[in-house]
Amino acid sequence: MPRVAYKDSALTVWRGKDCLRLIDGLTTNHVLDLEKGQVRQTVFTTTAAKIIDFVTVFHMGDFLAVHSHASKLSKLLDHVIPRILGQDVSITDVSSKNVYCIEYGVVNEIVGTFSASNGLTRGDIGSELSILIAALGFEFEEMRSEEEFSQWRVENTIPWNGYEISSVHHPLAAGLAAFVHPAKGCYIGQEILARMVSRGRQGKKLMRVETMSTEPGSITTHGEAYSLAILRTTQ
Amino acid sequence: MDCGTCETSGPVQLMTPEVVDVNLSISNKAQEMLADAFGDDRSMALLVGVLSGGCSGYMYDLQIVEDTDQSCQEVTIDGFRVLVPNASSHLLDGIEIDYVDRLMGGGFRINNPNAESSCGCGESFS
Repeated sequence: MPRVAYKDSALTVWRGKDCLRLIDGLTTNHVLDLEKGQVRQTVFTTTAAKIIDFVTVFHMGDFLAVHSHASKLSKLLDHVIPRILGQDVSITDVSSKNVYCIEYGVVNEIVGTFSASNGLTRGDIGSELSILIAALGFEFEEMRSEEEFSQWRVENTIPWNGYEISSVHHPLAAGLAAFVHPAKGCYIGQEILARMVSRGRQGKKLMRVETMSTEPGSITTHGEAYSLAILRTTQ
Repeated sequence: MDCGTCETSGPVQLMTPEVVDVNLSISNKAQEMLADAFGDDRSMALLVGVLSGGCSGYMYDLQIVEDTDQSCQEVTIDGFRVLVPNASSHLLDGIEIDYVDRLMGGGFRINNPNAESSCGCGESFS
């Protein structure tokens, strides 16, 4: 069970009956039907459909726990808070109370659920990817280096925060198309993404490329033989 | 996961927008349509609110209501009661409520001087 520290993590607790509706109205994936025990990933986007942050929403029953990124939390909250208006939503930042890591390369039979035991919460967010969150002081085992994790990401074309997932790209270019719901209705940036999909033109696309034959400036994650790059498509 | 449920995690500071005394107007065409909708019963009110979401970030929310549990300010224009939630008053000051008589895309429309842009359907603005 290889694991790697998820250093750039933030965790906020969202309470109130309007939380899911608020997140659904501001992000690319459908989350309104999320139920207790489920976890789902979605993207907050600007009106220009650029990524603000890629977040993981845990439905804890009485509240939502939203994993996001420490480097983007301020921007995310600046985006969300003015839009709460009169809705029943309150947000608490509990980032510093927890530690975070990613478990990768292990087959998850079921994706989209989480389990919690002995202070450790494990959200299965992909077929070979889980996010682990535990209270401060917890020691994760079998930790690997970021380089090893990057190599695995390159082999499996997995985009990551700070590499492919950045504010200069839209979710389709960054390899997050699976988290852009095709029919959920309006959200910020939806018109632009819907137009790209309907016209089959998304401009750029995440690709696994040969390192030596790719211009270094377009590589987002460097690997030895292969790398990840976001390149303009021929369409 | 430590969700801060047993301890005293401070909530994120929510910026509460300043409540603005809203000035708004209703076009003649919109007044005609409201008169049709209300009939002689002027105890009902037009609630003009803003929800988050939509393609541009905010969506207008028009409802005919008897009352609301939202904290609102009430404006009366030519006998029509208009309720504006205080929470969204800063986004609605100076609006004109208009009615567009068109087979497609017609209906009530908000002309909002605070909106930097709006989406194609006119329901959403930023």
